[in-house]
Amino acid sequence: MGLRSYIVTRILLTIPTLLLLLSMVFLVMRVLPGDPVALHFEKKAEPWQLENMRRKLGLDKPLWAQYADYIFGLIDINYVLAYGYPNLGKSMQTYEEVGGQIFSAFPATLELAIYSMIIASVMGILLGVVASKSYNSILDHLIRGFGTVTYAVPIFFLGIIFQLVFGVFLRWLPTGGRISSSVEPPTGLTIILSMPSGGFIYNFLLSSIAGLAISAICIALLKVKRVKFRFKGFAISLAVFIIAWVVYAYVSWYFVLKGTLQIATGLYTIDSLLEANPVKFVESVKALLLPSLTLGIILSGIFVRLTRTNMLETLRLDFVTAAKARGLKESTVTYGYALRNAFLPILTMLGLQFAMLLSGAILTETTFSWPGLGRYIYQRISFRDYTAIQGAVVMFGLFVTLVSLVVDILYAYFDPRIRL
Amino acid sequence: MEKIELSIAVLVLIGIIVSSSTMYYTATVISNVSTVSSDVSKLAEAVANLTLTIGNFSTVSLEAIANLQAKLAAMEAALAKMTLAKKTLVVGTTDSVELTLDPAQAYDYFGWCILQQIAGTLISVKPGSATGTDFVPELAVSWNVSEDLTLWDFNLRQGVTFWDGTEFNATHVQYSFDRAIALITKIPEGAPAGLGYGDIINRTEVLSKYKVRFHLNFPFSPFKGILACRASAIVEPTYAPIAQVNYTSGDPRASTPVAFVGPYFLSEWKRIAGRDIEIKLDKNPFYWNVTSQYPKTEHIIFRFYSDALTLRLAVEAGDVDMAFRHITPTDVLDLEDNPNFKVWWGTGAFIQYLDFQEKRAPFNDTRVRVAIAAALNRSSVCQTVFLGLASPLYSIIPPGMLGHTEAFKKLGDANYTLTRSLLKQAGYNNSTKKLKFDLWYESSGHYPMSAEQALLYKGAIEAASGGIIEITLKSADWASYKLNRDNEIMDAAIYGWYPDYLDPDDYAFLYWATWLHLNYNNATQLALYDEARATTNLTRRTELYAQIDNIAVEQCSVVPLYVSGAWAVTTPNVDGIYLDITQDMRYWLIYLK
Repeated sequence: MGLRSYIVTRILLTIPTLLLLLSMVFLVMRVLPGDPVALHFEKKAEPWQLENMRRKLGLDKPLWAQYADYIFGLIDINYVLAYGYPNLGKSMQTYEEVGGQIFSAFPATLELAIYSMIIASVMGILLGVVASKSYNSILDHLIRGFGTVTYAVPIFFLGIIFQLVFGVFLRWLPTGGRISSSVEPPTGLTIILSMPSGGFIYNFLLSSIAGLAISAICIALLKVKRVKFRFKGFAISLAVFIIAWVVYAYVSWYFVLKGTLQIATGLYTIDSLLEANPVKFVESVKALLLPSLTLGIILSGIFVRLTRTNMLETLRLDFVTAAKARGLKESTVTYGYALRNAFLPILTMLGLQFAMLLSGAILTETTFSWPGLGRYIYQRISFRDYTAIQGAVVMFGLFVTLVSLVVDILYAYFDPRIRL
Repeated sequence: MEKIELSIAVLVLIGIIVSSSTMYYTATVISNVSTVSSDVSKLAEAVANLTLTIGNFSTVSLEAIANLQAKLAAMEAALAKMTLAKKTLVVGTTDSVELTLDPAQAYDYFGWCILQQIAGTLISVKPGSATGTDFVPELAVSWNVSEDLTLWDFNLRQGVTFWDGTEFNATHVQYSFDRAIALITKIPEGAPAGLGYGDIINRTEVLSKYKVRFHLNFPFSPFKGILACRASAIVEPTYAPIAQVNYTSGDPRASTPVAFVGPYFLSEWKRIAGRDIEIKLDKNPFYWNVTSQYPKTEHIIFRFYSDALTLRLAVEAGDVDMAFRHITPTDVLDLEDNPNFKVWWGTGAFIQYLDFQEKRAPFNDTRVRVAIAAALNRSSVCQTVFLGLASPLYSIIPPGMLGHTEAFKKLGDANYTLTRSLLKQAGYNNSTKKLKFDLWYESSGHYPMSAEQALLYKGAIEAASGGIIEITLKSADWASYKLNRDNEIMDAAIYGWYPDYLDPDDYAFLYWATWLHLNYNNATQLALYDEARATTNLTRRTELYAQIDNIAVEQCSVVPLYVSGAWAVTTPNVDGIYLDITQDMRYWLIYLK
């Protein structure tokens, strides 16, 4: 099929999948008992109050009108340009933009997911390999036991134990939140560039020089690669020239307009490094340590067992014996040969777990007061906040699709036998 | 195409672009030159003006400057003398501001809590008040009420300023109330809508600069309670336009102090995805009562936790100086034994009650309802589930409030004889006709310990009935629970209530509240209630509420269960906490030793 067409097909298939998911959630939410209108009134509610609220939330319109509004809102380009995220509607509980809410809660979840995944996979795979090497020994049994126990332990239980030990008894680490309240959250990299002023024409001309320079470099590179210059080479260099021109013009215009460029990923650890602020880095790591350890240890249980099983199978194969016979180092054989071959199922599990973590680890987030997506969606469900839940589910669907696409592409990279 | 032709084409293209842009450039340069000359003349004018102004300034005497400097030095010296040993109090809580801090919209506990620290009302309840009805002056210094309780005049405090220097006067009061009422249709979920401001207040009249009059639609003696609640906070018109505003963390008006006049101002409000992360309050130098005494702590930082257990752990880890709402009874009793912490106890105002659906059998029969009410064992539940931190409640009006009685004690607790005789009268027996019904409770934690309570009530009622009653426990989360209530599905349900203003008027109506959808009406109770809110004679009011209670015991439409206590946990160096029946935490009185 070819890698390119495979990727394109997969990406195109995402759209109907998400649409279907969205429609299902839309219907299911409205069928569920519980009314977001009534939930705005903690105490008494007169009929006129309920009526007003219904109109305010747009729930007085017929179902198909609400659905059409929502779909047309999703594809509104102006909104995307203005806000930077698609129009997922307004939350029925707080009236804020759902897209904004999700994107403000997402970095916390992403950070937790990344670090927990790193801990889980490194710990799990290493332990699994060690267990498979020492098959049926005491170490093997211990590690297997560890894998089972950690997966069986409830997350909040482990979290509370950690909070007790490290937060209360030892007082080394904070018990909750993303960063201590005595420190401002990191703002990331701020680039201030003063562009030469002189109006648009001046920058226009300047950018043509830049464009020429970059296209010259491109031509030189193409010559090195011995590309024929009849048409293809010329087309490429012209395209590069135009692109570089436009990009440079845009960048300089952006700086003239805004003055500074802020690069902030939302991940506190990375942002504090970008800001070159060691205090903030230390504080954010301290706050991140317990929740990611909790989640990481729990998830490592899966990887331990999976790695061990796959490695046991792979270690029996002939090529491993052959490699050992050739005199290769033990570690090279284990990691370079055996693990690489056993890695595919582990990769699948990695992808799936990561996608699940991206949808928010609700129990961890509650235990550690981590302001992420899991906590967000849990609260929204209790408020029957239709738009917020729809938006969140669509985002989760998107994450899962993207992650599975990446995993599938990585398959081809890891195992040349798989032809996409 | 040959190489030469190609390169010529490219060069020509570049040449065209360069020459056209140069021409355009020179054109703009020429036009710029003409604007530059007009700019130069304007600049000359401006310089002339500036020299004039500088000349004026020099006439300001150096003496005046020296005076100001002396005053400033004196102020600084006074400030330095102020004994604020520690300046920041860190408070942990599981609450969160639900929507906004706009008094026309906020109707949740924590929104009102923050508003209490940053906004002012005409009157407020005295800290430590036993009944919740001793009102003290705040932005109003004195008041008088007409005989018929429909005209309420207030004399306002003079010399109070907002941050932009505007002096507080009667027009601000009129504006605040007019705005609250005008926004009722647009903000149906807000406090003015819920408390019925539009129904109660006819209009607000400015009598003079510092005198305002409220015209009420009917005699309403609890009006002072309404004026002391946060929906009556005074706002500055410039920053609270009559169109709806949403004070959320992105809105600069939320983080600037200009809109309100209170002991603190909101200096920082971090909120992610509808949930608070951190709120910082700083001392308001324009507070009318600002001295070296108030507010006692300069900075208050609120940290938000997701549940009661993590809040407790945060207290033990020393992450917070104080924790208020919500620590579970088990945890607070544990912490009381710990010498590193101090627990403050207070009166509660949150009550729970049992209600019956009277549309159909079995609860359309009064005898059955009374039988169930007599079978309840409140003290056992309070001891077992709440570890003694809740008190049995025998009237819908809690203790400490005017009108509280012990009316339901007439039925007794776990009164087996009464229960069984009533059930027999109603025709139920152990063999042929058992009484079967559903007892509902809320399962998503909206009320504390619901499942445990329901289990104990079921046990007590079934035991008291000698096997005649069979109860099925059912639960629903808050959203479904409300829906079931509105659809009149639940036979018997456990519900809760906390007051908006402290007056028996805000409790007594629960016996027949329409929004409980119990299909119960009692014209006598209603008449007594209306009479009680139309008089300020306390003895008369007490009598009336007692009569309402007596009818309630006969009818048992709603059976009060318990009233919760209130508590806060702090480190030993914290002092100045008042946990009175208002349930308000006045952070400006708290200090660190």
